[in-house]
Amino acid sequence: MKGSFLSTAVSILPADPRAWRRFRRNKGAIAGAALVALVTGTAFLGPIVAPHDPAEQKREVLLHLDGTPAAPSEVTGYPLGADSIGRDELSRLLHGGKVSLQVAFLATGLAVLIGLIVGIFTGYFGRWVDFAGMRVVDVLLSLPFLLVAIAVKRVVDSPGLWGLYLILGLLSWTTLARVTRAKTMQVRELEFIQATRALGMSHGRIIFRHVLPNVLGPAIVIGTTMVAHMIIAESAMSYLGLGVTPPEASWGSMLREGEDLLSHAPRLVVYPGLLIMATVFGFNLMGEGLRDAFDPKE
Amino acid sequence: MPSTRRNEAVRKAAAVTVVVLLVSAVALAVALAPEPPAGPRWAAAGHDGPTRGGTLVVHHESDIRGLDPQRAFDELSFMAIRLLFDGLLDYDDEGRLVPSLAEALPEQSDDGRTFRFTLRRGIRFHNGRELVADDVRWSLEHMLRPETGSPGYSFYKKIAGVEELRQGSAEHIRGIRVLDARTFEITLTDPDQTFLNSMAMTFAYPVAREGYDAPHADAAQPPPGTGPFRLVEWERGYRLVFRRNDDYWRPGEPNIDRLVFLLNLARGIAAMRFRNGDIDHLHSLTPADYLFFKRSDAWHPYTVERATGDVYGIAMNCGMPPFDDVHLRRAVAFAIDREGWSRARANRLRPTGQPLPPGLLGYDEALSERQTSDLRRAREEMRLAGHPDGLEDEVDYWLGAGETGRFYGELAMQDLARIGIRLRLKQVSAATYFEETGKRGTAQSLLAGWSQDFPDPADFLDILFHTDSIHDRDSENRAFYSNPELDGLLDEARVEQDRDRRREMYERASNIVAHDAPWAFVFNSLRFEIWQPYVRNYQPNMVWANDYRRVWLDLPRRRLALRYGLRGPHGQLAALFPWRR
Repeated sequence: MKGSFLSTAVSILPADPRAWRRFRRNKGAIAGAALVALVTGTAFLGPIVAPHDPAEQKREVLLHLDGTPAAPSEVTGYPLGADSIGRDELSRLLHGGKVSLQVAFLATGLAVLIGLIVGIFTGYFGRWVDFAGMRVVDVLLSLPFLLVAIAVKRVVDSPGLWGLYLILGLLSWTTLARVTRAKTMQVRELEFIQATRALGMSHGRIIFRHVLPNVLGPAIVIGTTMVAHMIIAESAMSYLGLGVTPPEASWGSMLREGEDLLSHAPRLVVYPGLLIMATVFGFNLMGEGLRDAFDPKE
Repeated sequence: MPSTRRNEAVRKAAAVTVVVLLVSAVALAVALAPEPPAGPRWAAAGHDGPTRGGTLVVHHESDIRGLDPQRAFDELSFMAIRLLFDGLLDYDDEGRLVPSLAEALPEQSDDGRTFRFTLRRGIRFHNGRELVADDVRWSLEHMLRPETGSPGYSFYKKIAGVEELRQGSAEHIRGIRVLDARTFEITLTDPDQTFLNSMAMTFAYPVAREGYDAPHADAAQPPPGTGPFRLVEWERGYRLVFRRNDDYWRPGEPNIDRLVFLLNLARGIAAMRFRNGDIDHLHSLTPADYLFFKRSDAWHPYTVERATGDVYGIAMNCGMPPFDDVHLRRAVAFAIDREGWSRARANRLRPTGQPLPPGLLGYDEALSERQTSDLRRAREEMRLAGHPDGLEDEVDYWLGAGETGRFYGELAMQDLARIGIRLRLKQVSAATYFEETGKRGTAQSLLAGWSQDFPDPADFLDILFHTDSIHDRDSENRAFYSNPELDGLLDEARVEQDRDRRREMYERASNIVAHDAPWAFVFNSLRFEIWQPYVRNYQPNMVWANDYRRVWLDLPRRRLALRYGLRGPHGQLAALFPWRR
C-alpha cells in the first residue's frame, strides 16, 4: 500500500527530466531560488533566533520622552531600534516573515489545489462540466479582489489569519484553472491517452497517472509566481487591517504601523518594505526560471 | 545567427540606457527637490488692530454631513453651523455661558423651572426678515417634532409639553410662551441646571422657517440664519465657501471677507499645504507632522496645545463576569501605566484618573480617590478579588477599527498581562462597536470615550454612570454600572442652584466613580493647533472645536497678491515654486 502510494507520487512528477537540468543552468533562477531559500529559512528560524519578544513594549527603554521610537544607534541590544510603541523592530521583522510566508504558502496551496481540480475536470470531461466550471471562473474573475476582501471583513468582524488564507486562496485559483484546462484538453487528445482509454483504464487512473504529470509543469510555474502575488496581497490586506490580529506582526501590518511616522523614522517602513520586495523578487525569478525550464519553446 | 546576435546587442544597449536614464532621473529629482520651508513662509504684516478683508482657508479630514443646525451632530458641522447661525446663549473662551442673541442670561423663577429670555433688538436673518420671539418658538417646536428626526431631542425633553407635541396630541409646546415680539418664557417639568447649556447647543439655534417651507431639493441645505457669514458655495466633498454677512449685528464683526473649508483633505496633505502657505489653520496632524511642528522654534508662537473636554478609559462591564467584582476593576485601574501610554502616543494624551476632564465643575487635580498607576496596589486588589495569580480565561476587549484603536489595544494588553489578565482584542467597525457594546451582557470590557456636548459635569456623570442610562440596547452607560447612592447624588446635583454646593456634590460623585472603577480612567486627549503668523486673534474655545468668528488677517502684501491672482509671470512662477521667495 505504502509502496504504491510512493510510486504514484513519483510518477506524477513532471514528465520531462531535462527540465531540472535547464533550471539548474539558469543563473537568474538559481539566484531566485537562493533568495527564496534564504528568506524562507529566516522566516521559519527567525522566531527562534529573535533576540526579544516581538510583542513586548519596552516603553521605558525604547521610547524617548517625547514619544519617538529609539533609533538603532541610540540603544544597545536593539540592532534595528524600536517601533512606534517601543517594541524591538528586528524581532518583529523576524516573526513577521513567518506570518507573511505562511499566508502566502497556504493560500497558494489552496489556490493550486482548487485550480488543478477544476482545470483538469473541466478540461478532461468537457461538456456541461466545462461549461459550469468556466462560468464560475468568469464570475470570480469579474470580482475585484480587494472589494470582496473588504466585504468579507464587514461581515465577519475579525476574520483573522485563517480567514485570510481562505479569502486569498478561494479568490486566486482561476488563472491556474484556465491554464490547466487548456493543457488538459490538449493532452486528452494525444494518442497515448486514447490508448489507455482503449485499454479500459478508469477515468481516475487516467487523470492521476497520465494527465496530472503533464499539466503539473505549468501549475508549478504559476504557483511559484502566485506565492509572490500572495505576499503582496497579504501585505495589502494587513495594511488595510484585514490580516493578523494584534499584537502579532506581519510585514504588511508593520508597513501600516510605520506609516504614521514615515517622515520621522522612515526605517519603520523601509525594512519590512525591502523584505517584501526581496521575497517577491526571489519568487518571481524562480518562477521565470521554472517557466523557461518546463517550456523551452517560449 | 549574426542578425540575432546583433538584435540581442541592441536590446541590451537599449535596456542599459533605459535603466541609466531612470536612475539618473530619480537621482536628479532627489538632488533638486526643494525642501519645504522649515518655518512659516509668510510673516504677519504687523498691523496693530484688526483689519478688514482677506480669505481664511481651513481644512477638515472628512466630508461635512450637513448644515442644518437641527439635524447635524458632529464637530465639523458645528464648526460650519456656527458661522451661519447664532444661539440665544453662547460660551466665552473660558467656557462660561454668555448671552448672544439673548440680551442677557435669562431670569430664572424661584422654583428654578421657568426661564424668561429677551431677544436683542434689530437682529435680522440672512433673508432680511427680523428675528422675533415667535421664530424661537417655531424653531424649537420644529426641531422637536418627530418628523424632523433631530438627534438633539433628548436634551430638551424636560420642557413642559414636549411629549404631547411628539405624540401629536398638541399643536404647540405648552412650556414655551411668547410674551411679546422680543420676550418669551420656557417652563420645565423639573428644575434642571443643565437646561441653559442645552439652549446654547446648535439644535436650539433660531432658524428662519422660510428655509423649511419650500420643498427642499436638498434637505442638507441650511435655512437662513443670523450668523456672521453666509454660505456662497458648497461643492460636495470638496469645499464650502462662506462670505461675510455685511449686516451682522455684532459691530465690527466679522473681519474676514471669505472663509473656505477644504473637505476630505488627508492630514498629511493638509500639513504640507499648510507649510506651503495654502492653508491658514491646522488642527489635526499625523504623529510625524505633530513632532515636526512641536519641535520647531519658528512655529512655536503660533501653536497651542490644550486638553479638550473628553475622557477616555477602559470601561468594564459591571453586569457580567469577571468585572462584576469591584476589586478586579480596581486592579485594572491601578495596573494601567498611564505615563507609558502617553509616551507611546507621542505625549498627545494627558494622563488622568477621574471621570471629569479638567476645567469642569467637580474636577480636582488632587481628588482623594483618583486612580493612579500603582502595580503594587493592583496586585493587592487582585489578591482581594481572589485571583492572586490572575484570571484563567481571556477577557474580551472591544475597540473600534483603525490603527489608533489597535495601539490602545496593544497597550492595554501588555499592562494587564502584568497582573495576569489576558485580553482578547475585538477590533470591529465603529457601527458594530457602538451596537454591541451598548447591549446588556455582551461586551466584557471596551475602550470607551466621551466627548462633552456642553461643559457641565452632568454631561459626563449622568450619561456614563447613572442607572437611568442603562438600557437593554443602546445603553450609554456601557459599563452597566448602577449605584443608588450615586444616582441620588447626581439627581440632587442636577437641580442644585448654588455653584459651590454643586461643585462639592460632583466631587463626591467623582470620588465614588473613581473608587468603584466602572472605568479605568486613562487620559484626556490633547488637541494641538497651529496657524499662520498672519492669522490674528485666534482664540481656542473651551467648548467649540474651532471658532473662527473673531479672527482677522494681518496679511503681508505679497501673500495678498499671490492669493488674489496678481497674474503674470512672477505670480505664476511663484505659484509653481512657492517655497522660492
